[in-house]
Amino acid sequence: MKRDKVTYEDLLGICACLTLALAAHIASLPVWVLVTIAVAAGIRLLLAHRGRGAPPRALRLTISAVAIALLFLRFRTFNGLTAGSALLALTAGLKLLETETKRDIYVVTLIIYFVSISALLEGESFWLLAYLIGVCWLTTATLLRVTTTRPAPAWPRSLRYAGRILMQALPLALAFWLFFPRFGGALWQMPDDGGSATSGLGDSMSPGDIDDLAQSDDIAFRVRFSTAPPPPQERYWRGPVLHDFDGHTWRHSYPVSISAPALQDQGPAYRYTLSLEPHRHNWIFALDWPAQWDLPHGALNGDYTLVQPEPVARPIDVTVTSYTHAQSDEPLSAPLRKLDLAPPKRNPRTLKLAQAMRSAHPDDMDYVRSVLSMFSEQAFYYTLTPPKLGEDSVDEFLFDTRRGFCGHYASAFAALMRAAGIPAHVVTGYQGGTFNRFADYWILRQSDAHAWDEVWIAGHGWLRVDPTSVIAPERVERGLTDAVGADEHLVSRWQRRTPWLADARLRLDALRELWRERILLFNQDSQQQLLELLGIPEPDGEKLVLVLAAALTLGLAWLTWQVRRELEPGQKDQVIRAYSRLCEKLAAVGIARRPHEGAEAFAARVAEHRPDLGAAVDALCRDYSTLRYAPAEARITIGEFAAAVRAFRPRAHMRS
Amino acid sequence: MNLSFDRLRRAAADKTRAWAARRHGRDSLPIRIGRRRIYILPTRFGLMLALILVAMLIAGLNYNSNLGLAFAFLMVSVAMVTMHHCNRNLLGLLVDVATEADAFAAREASFEFALQNDSKVERRDVEVLCGAGSAIRSVAARSSEPLRVAVPTATRGITRLAQFELRTRYPFGWFHAWTYVQGALTVYVAPAPLGNRTLPSVGGQGSASRIETRGDEDFSGLRAYEPGVPLKHMAWKVLARGGEAAVRSYTGLAAQPEWLDWSALEGQGTETRLSQLCLWVLESEAAQRPYGLRIPGEEIAPARGPGHAQACLRALAAFGIAEPP
Repeated sequence: MKRDKVTYEDLLGICACLTLALAAHIASLPVWVLVTIAVAAGIRLLLAHRGRGAPPRALRLTISAVAIALLFLRFRTFNGLTAGSALLALTAGLKLLETETKRDIYVVTLIIYFVSISALLEGESFWLLAYLIGVCWLTTATLLRVTTTRPAPAWPRSLRYAGRILMQALPLALAFWLFFPRFGGALWQMPDDGGSATSGLGDSMSPGDIDDLAQSDDIAFRVRFSTAPPPPQERYWRGPVLHDFDGHTWRHSYPVSISAPALQDQGPAYRYTLSLEPHRHNWIFALDWPAQWDLPHGALNGDYTLVQPEPVARPIDVTVTSYTHAQSDEPLSAPLRKLDLAPPKRNPRTLKLAQAMRSAHPDDMDYVRSVLSMFSEQAFYYTLTPPKLGEDSVDEFLFDTRRGFCGHYASAFAALMRAAGIPAHVVTGYQGGTFNRFADYWILRQSDAHAWDEVWIAGHGWLRVDPTSVIAPERVERGLTDAVGADEHLVSRWQRRTPWLADARLRLDALRELWRERILLFNQDSQQQLLELLGIPEPDGEKLVLVLAAALTLGLAWLTWQVRRELEPGQKDQVIRAYSRLCEKLAAVGIARRPHEGAEAFAARVAEHRPDLGAAVDALCRDYSTLRYAPAEARITIGEFAAAVRAFRPRAHMRS
Repeated sequence: MNLSFDRLRRAAADKTRAWAARRHGRDSLPIRIGRRRIYILPTRFGLMLALILVAMLIAGLNYNSNLGLAFAFLMVSVAMVTMHHCNRNLLGLLVDVATEADAFAAREASFEFALQNDSKVERRDVEVLCGAGSAIRSVAARSSEPLRVAVPTATRGITRLAQFELRTRYPFGWFHAWTYVQGALTVYVAPAPLGNRTLPSVGGQGSASRIETRGDEDFSGLRAYEPGVPLKHMAWKVLARGGEAAVRSYTGLAAQPEWLDWSALEGQGTETRLSQLCLWVLESEAAQRPYGLRIPGEEIAPARGPGHAQACLRALAAFGIAEPP
């Protein structure tokens, strides 16, 4: 085997491909890894540019050892996606440094392929896939130029050829993708490196937390109702419930052992499919109150929040049935009562206010109403940019600033309830949603994040009270954009002013949803449905494999045909072949074309010897000349000419 | 270890060659490479790729990532398509070779191959392996390329190569497609042209008449046209007058012959004599004078020209060697 040295151009091409592949990882790779790779590639390119080989072996080994040791110190493991990708990227960079022969380039191309796929393992976007297929295309074209003998084919040609191979691979890849059995779970568990940090609700709430979310247009989840959707003021999507208040921050801190009172669902049932985007926690934002769900390990926790054991690390679909009304005639258990009655720490003015109001309204419902009317009648404002609050956040809000977002009102309300001896807690989640009329589903963005309260009313159970709906009813009925003042900054507002832009956004989201539904969430169930669609009764794994085999056979047959088709001689040759058939036929009846004879001279000679054939042969020969030498002026097609030659059957008879 | 691996591989290759020879029998040239005679296997690079593809699939399945799987399946399919393209690179190629070559001992014999590509696609990097020699060439669409393969020769005699091989790694070098052609190639290895004796005539004694060597040849008449005749020999005037296409034919100038005689080299070893005779043939041919060759068991009448020289050299190559059946 020849040890072909690499050229500067080969190296430049492969460095470019590696850079493009690594660009897909840029967010998850440590900066020093990127710098190391860039320096390694730079040094190698510089050496190659001066016609020199790789740096000495000892130097290379030292650099590699140091880099890999540093990487291990940083991650403490090479297992897992982030650490693995970093190791892979580093290996590629260091391999570049020692690239001497073509075989080293081969190794780098293989690493590029693997770097590309590792970016896709946790990726979700269509654009990422398209981009990486583009990188793969470019890498393959570069490889073509490296592996062929000099002179390598020109770039456009190499790209065209690699592109053609990719195109021909598409049907086979589709067959594989559709019918290759999915296992559903991981073959082995990889450590979760929490690389995909996403914004969203957390398990605590300080004043200002939700205000930040209001500026985020990220999608939290999408909902498709199979029944009619509930009215806006009942679309509360339940997230974590917060019980523990230290005067400033509400926290989840809920002991698992406490069991919640059983609920009797009331009112119409709503059935819908939640398509959750990944977030860092394990709750599923079901509509209040969830009753049934098709999540394998899903369960309601003591707060009636639907949860699963693992965080929602990848997009999932859950079908849930909820009732917007529920009652409980059981008494509140003692530990829960204690938890939700814990008086607000600090905030002395609030305590005093609560006691004063409570003495005027001994009835629980009366007291709730009086607090709400205090919010609506006094000068409270709903704003996205409330003033900062200190340690006694409720006091400062109720008595000094009086400007707040949903979190401030929910927090103050719960504090006032507890101070008056009514069990209460804060519920966070999402409220409302935007209807996508182009694809019939609802979009819940981070800006739809919301906080409200629940109070325990004996004989009724938990009662949802949303103080925000008193201050800013538009927030609950129409969404945030309509609720905050026109002078407040809100990222999505400028788009809302342009209806066609808002429509375009919805259409784009409908596409995204389709992608998510059909591609990202394609699984065993989808394969079963697909087989049923193909008319295969009682699909099972065995039938799936058979269908895969059949599809691959078809694909390979198509490929063979496609590849061999290009071997057929071109059109010009067809003309020549047909003409030589004509000459053979005439030779068989005794008039052989002489080697030097042109078509028209031959036709003239035929006419002389066999006047009966003259006209036909003359026409055919003229057609031949035009098709061969002036195809643009031809009056018949090549196929017609060939057919005419086939139809021409001269009979051998004596000259008259 | 590497050595034994190579030996193992060579032994396996010999076995396959013998098996292919039995399977396909003797081929007649020119031969069109059919699909039943093309073999294909992954190269070492191809095996590395396979390993990476398996790793990609496992990663995609493990992360339950439909996009990762899509990419992995695309790469698997690209490999499958590449296999077809590699195979196609040889498929339908028309291969011809002059089955006889002439050489001098300890030099190289060169076989003139012609690779003809009738299809619309370029055949890139087709390698012809013939004995210990090989050459690589690309053939553009609908064209034909000559290809000279130099095979090193050792000793005087007649060397036969039962088989030659065409192979390609195009595209990407992931696969190695090859085919064996059982076309017997013969190399007439003439003795190395060596010696210190001058040509008999130049020695002074014998024929004193100087032969006028004129470079031109004389017109001797017309004969019927057949395709392939050099254009400059065409009798255009005859054709223009409306007659049959004809070709002018020429004959060489008759001149005084000279005998290169085995018996004139009394007292020397066989190979030394043959080498001397070989040198004389070349010298006479270079001087453009007619000569004859006389060796035990064979006599070649005086003439000159490349064909004559070849006949003389082949007679020298075959001297004392039993012609195989």
